[in-house]
Amino acid sequence: MAIAAIWTAALVYAAEITLLSIGFTLTYLTAKIPNFAHGTYAGFGIYVVYTISRIFHMSPYIGFPISFFIGGAVSVLVYIVVIQVLSRMGSGAIVLTIATLAIQIFLTSALYIYAFWIRTVYSTYTIGFLVKELDFEFMGMPGILPVSVSICVGTVIVLHYMLTRTKTGIAMRAVAEDTELSSVLGIDTNRIQLFSWFLTGGLAALAGSMMPLWFASSPATGSFMITSIMAASLLGGFTNVYGAVIGGIGIGFSEIILTFYLQQTVGVWIGEYRPLVPMIVLVAVLLIEPNGLQGIWERIAASDTGQNLLKSIGRGEVE
Amino acid sequence: MIDLLSNLVAVSGSARLIVDIAMYFGLFVIVAMALNFQYGNAGVPNMGCAVQVIVGGFTVSAITTRLTFWIIGQAGVEFLPYTSDYDWVYNNFRNVSVLANGYLKDNIMLCITLLLFSLAVSLVLGAAIGWLISVPAIRLKATYLMITLITMADASQIIGRNVVAISGGTIGVFVPNVFAFYPGDRTVVMATLTLFIGLISFFIFRTMLNSPYGRLMRAIRENEITVGSVGKNVVGIRRNILMFASGITALSGCLLAFYFSYVVEANYQRAFWTYWPWLMLIMGGPGNNAGTFLGTALVVAMRRIIIVSKWYFDKMLFFPISYFENILLGSLLLIIMIFRPSGLIPEKLLYIPGINYRKLVREEVAVDWRTTTKTRGGAGKRSGIFGRKKGDS
Repeated sequence: MAIAAIWTAALVYAAEITLLSIGFTLTYLTAKIPNFAHGTYAGFGIYVVYTISRIFHMSPYIGFPISFFIGGAVSVLVYIVVIQVLSRMGSGAIVLTIATLAIQIFLTSALYIYAFWIRTVYSTYTIGFLVKELDFEFMGMPGILPVSVSICVGTVIVLHYMLTRTKTGIAMRAVAEDTELSSVLGIDTNRIQLFSWFLTGGLAALAGSMMPLWFASSPATGSFMITSIMAASLLGGFTNVYGAVIGGIGIGFSEIILTFYLQQTVGVWIGEYRPLVPMIVLVAVLLIEPNGLQGIWERIAASDTGQNLLKSIGRGEVE
Repeated sequence: MIDLLSNLVAVSGSARLIVDIAMYFGLFVIVAMALNFQYGNAGVPNMGCAVQVIVGGFTVSAITTRLTFWIIGQAGVEFLPYTSDYDWVYNNFRNVSVLANGYLKDNIMLCITLLLFSLAVSLVLGAAIGWLISVPAIRLKATYLMITLITMADASQIIGRNVVAISGGTIGVFVPNVFAFYPGDRTVVMATLTLFIGLISFFIFRTMLNSPYGRLMRAIRENEITVGSVGKNVVGIRRNILMFASGITALSGCLLAFYFSYVVEANYQRAFWTYWPWLMLIMGGPGNNAGTFLGTALVVAMRRIIIVSKWYFDKMLFFPISYFENILLGSLLLIIMIFRPSGLIPEKLLYIPGINYRKLVREEVAVDWRTTTKTRGGAGKRSGIFGRKKGDS
């Protein structure tokens, strides 16, 4: 069962963007800020996989759980050292967003310094690398394809279970709805925030650790992906995690498949404009429906045809 | 500076560093003051300064250069072909450096006209791009506005890299030297001019902030719902502010192009033209021009000194010093945000010349409700909604 390389790339990329935009949306819901450093956490995943596979000569897949915990630790550290302090001082969303921009530049430079340090100590190349040759083969497919897709699907299922069934998940949703009211009900909002930052950082680093198995990676790769992540989250509507899943799949696919087919029909030169795809989506969403797919869904559900459709599948009236 | 102006040889050594710092101070003070005007005073978080700066640069490369070729071509100088993309880049060096600059050397009036023309066009185009930016984003929440503007800064760089006719793609193009008539070092004149334009824009911004419109801007920053409820068009005012400040920001890109006599999109990176001005603004203290000056001076001096003394550092370190510089300035921004949230020079209360504040305060005490309750209904005092005396009707 051979799959064309372009579809592998699209699937892997869509899985990564989905994981990243889930985290971005969760941060936006709980902390109410767009975290520009979110893409950079993926860089930590990339360099954990690099260290595991190139320095310790082990399978890159061993790096996946390690990068999850390292990414979570970095994210929690960012929250405790900067975000928590600033929000206790009463800083607004704009100041916090600028702080995340500073964190992004700080973390990217730290990753570059780490890459240069490895290069000096071990005399290998560390920037723009691939670990494709260490991947295993599964039914004629490269191993990263089933692994990334199943990680993505598994994350969505686990997250759905967590957010609807477990106490922590329900508390998290309550905090996202109204922080003050949920603290009145006895939820330790600080603990929930810590947990949410750990989860988002871990998911981002996990997404980043899939990166070098199919795409050339460097410390700035994660930072470059932030536009796609924001476009995916905005397409999903910034209001729930499921929107981010659909947005991530949509952006990930359209960025690679759309560019590929446009290159075949219009001309090769159009490939240079690939980063514009998420930007155009972003501006179009803001112009047409600022609440993204969530807004469109609500609009359809409120109309007569939408109500009839919902009745026919047995959902009845939706509020 | 004046010594350097009268000295007609190429500057070098520490004088070179001074000119460089002066030039970058001038450029960044324009951007940072415009940012202070938008964010510090009106609360519009313009994260897309790089877009406006790049527009200024592209004005020089795409419009002024072609206009120069056309005018000098009319005067009888034979240019190599420059209409196709290939010729535009390939013949650029000879066209600009030999033919155009050779003609401009003897035509002071044409030089000055071209300079003023580029400044005016970049002002207009910058304002136009400010309007364009405001269309999708101005009605939205501040965080959405920031996301859109950051994205647009990247988009403009991608377009500049790939559309060769604008600025020669990744190779870049030379632009005419509008100070070809000056026998000394061109960079000294450019630095002086930039500082002068910075000074003019400082006075413009100060006048605007002290005007009724400036007080309206501050009111929008404090509470836009209240301002809207008294009948002011908040969206319109924000759009005007974004357009005006965008125009001024574009001047800085135009001046940078003339300073290098060369335009390439890599000179207008998003990190460079968005992150550094924000750092300067937050460091000095938003909402106050003195703070902006201080922040700009500190950051520019630090950066230029690190860059100039790069060679000493690179021998000692195993990584390029620019990454350490980013770490240093990134953590500096966070430290200032945490320990000095209102910047090195905090914003002072607005002082409007011509108003006697002491008298105002004294009057306010006189009409305090605690004192008036005692005399309500007393002889000669008017009360009630219509100010009638109690026993009138």
